[in-house]
Amino acid sequence: MFGFRLQAERPPDPRPVSNGVVMRLDDVYEIDPDRMQIIAQQNMPVSDTLRIVDSRWEHLAWMHDHWADHVLSGEEEEQGE
Amino acid sequence: MSVAALSDSVVDELRAILGSDYVLTNKSSLFNRARVPAPFPVHRWDEHIADIAVLPETAEQVSEVVKLANAYKIPVVPRAGGTGLSDGAVPVTGGILVDVKRMNKILDIDLDDRTVTVQPGINMLKLNEELRRYGVIYPDDPASYPCSLVGGRIGTGGWSLIGARYGHTRDLVISMQVCLPTGELIEVGDGGGRKIRKSSTGFQLKQLFMGHQGSLGITTEATLELVPRPEAEFAAFFGYPDYETAYRSTGALSKSGLASLAGVVLFDEWKVNYLRRDDEAYIPQPRELRCVVAVAAYGTLAETKPASQVIMSIGKDTGGNYLGDEVSQGDWASRHDRYATPLHGRTPEGQVVPMSWHCEDAAITYSALPMVREEWHAIAKRYIDDYGVFDDWGMFAYTNGAHKPWGDYLVEIDIGIWEQRLDDAMWDAWVQCKREITEVSLKYGGSITACHGSTREGDAEFVPREMGGGFDVMKKIKRVLDPNNIMNPGKNQLDEAYED
Repeated sequence: MFGFRLQAERPPDPRPVSNGVVMRLDDVYEIDPDRMQIIAQQNMPVSDTLRIVDSRWEHLAWMHDHWADHVLSGEEEEQGE
Repeated sequence: MSVAALSDSVVDELRAILGSDYVLTNKSSLFNRARVPAPFPVHRWDEHIADIAVLPETAEQVSEVVKLANAYKIPVVPRAGGTGLSDGAVPVTGGILVDVKRMNKILDIDLDDRTVTVQPGINMLKLNEELRRYGVIYPDDPASYPCSLVGGRIGTGGWSLIGARYGHTRDLVISMQVCLPTGELIEVGDGGGRKIRKSSTGFQLKQLFMGHQGSLGITTEATLELVPRPEAEFAAFFGYPDYETAYRSTGALSKSGLASLAGVVLFDEWKVNYLRRDDEAYIPQPRELRCVVAVAAYGTLAETKPASQVIMSIGKDTGGNYLGDEVSQGDWASRHDRYATPLHGRTPEGQVVPMSWHCEDAAITYSALPMVREEWHAIAKRYIDDYGVFDDWGMFAYTNGAHKPWGDYLVEIDIGIWEQRLDDAMWDAWVQCKREITEVSLKYGGSITACHGSTREGDAEFVPREMGGGFDVMKKIKRVLDPNNIMNPGKNQLDEAYED
């Protein structure tokens, strides 16, 4: 199918997370728009936001793989205590 | 030197050496090679423009260009990735900018003697992609790993995130071919052998051509160390309720004696506040977390696995709370690529504005870290309050010694600067702020710079004081090697060598 539903591309309303930080999508933290009066925040479709988040995870996974074959876990060490 | 000062005949001679396509005179090519990512007096951009930029492909072309420049007494500014955080690659007196990005070839991979010989324009990430098939890496890992180049690393005497295990650039370059300011190509290393790591023959010239900020020549080839590609990586981030506990924990971790320990870094309260404001890994952290210590280890599984157990034990026994695999692994992976970080800061009222990034990078002993931290933040606060264009992004202290990570630290205070608001008064204020920060480093027996170089206003004028009698030796060496002061003039206060 080509195209997308515009409604699905609009992020939900922001909810405050901490002082000066809001969240509209899970685990995507954004600066409170009230603090972006000099530099306006860019409106972005949900799919673009998720694409950037996914790219970030891919980048970090790539960097791990670039440097070593295995990434050891501190949580496993804690559980083994 | 100005655009008009380079005669048509010089331009023609450069074109004869390099071909017309690789002699650049257009405005965009020159302006794009003016600055580096560090804060820059953007209102005086045109004072930092070379007259012409050239892109050689071979050492012989570099030699011919430099011979021509020396004959006509034209300044030469070497430039590699342009990612430096001081002004080594910034033209300050016009002249010919030698951009080495086309010199990006791997010339020799020697798996028997564990070396790779490259041209200076190659990037470490791309080099390591090639080396992976052989099971080896070149472990020079700056925060600009994906974008900086070997030649610039040599010119600045670079510092590596994993230097505690593998050493820094100065430890990883075995030998070099250097084009002297007279255009002569020479080999320098430990003694004369290109692949010899330790020699007692003659002077140790390699280090003379390491970190000279392009003031003594241009590296045209380098033979580099190869190490086994790590089987395992371990990163652990611990949170602490106060600086004193985190500081003591940092000391304990760095003195652990683990051979696989690649680095220990202490983030202070200001840094954690900044990260809590703008970094997805720290925003959800509880308020009682005020400082963070990060540890990384690399090596074989047989050594890294037990090392990870020791690190976890020391971190917790000294008051740390493990922040989990997601933060530890994710944040550590992002440290290889800090230049991808969006740069914005806040006005004193909390509004977001675009800012460039000053990283003070002094080398400070462990015992002096708490005092330096207090004094640097106090200086930053005064300038933030008085001028409204600066932002304190916090401090970190990162183990500095190659293979001996316990005594001294690369200490950064990161200060955001709203460049769009710079004018002469604001820039002068910034330089004065820099001078005050530098004074503190020297007061506590530190060094102005652990890795970026002392070529900026606010640093450069302190080089004679830090070097003491050694500065006279520097000047004599500079005059002998560069009789016409063509090689990156205006850097490291070395113009004083020609004042007598």
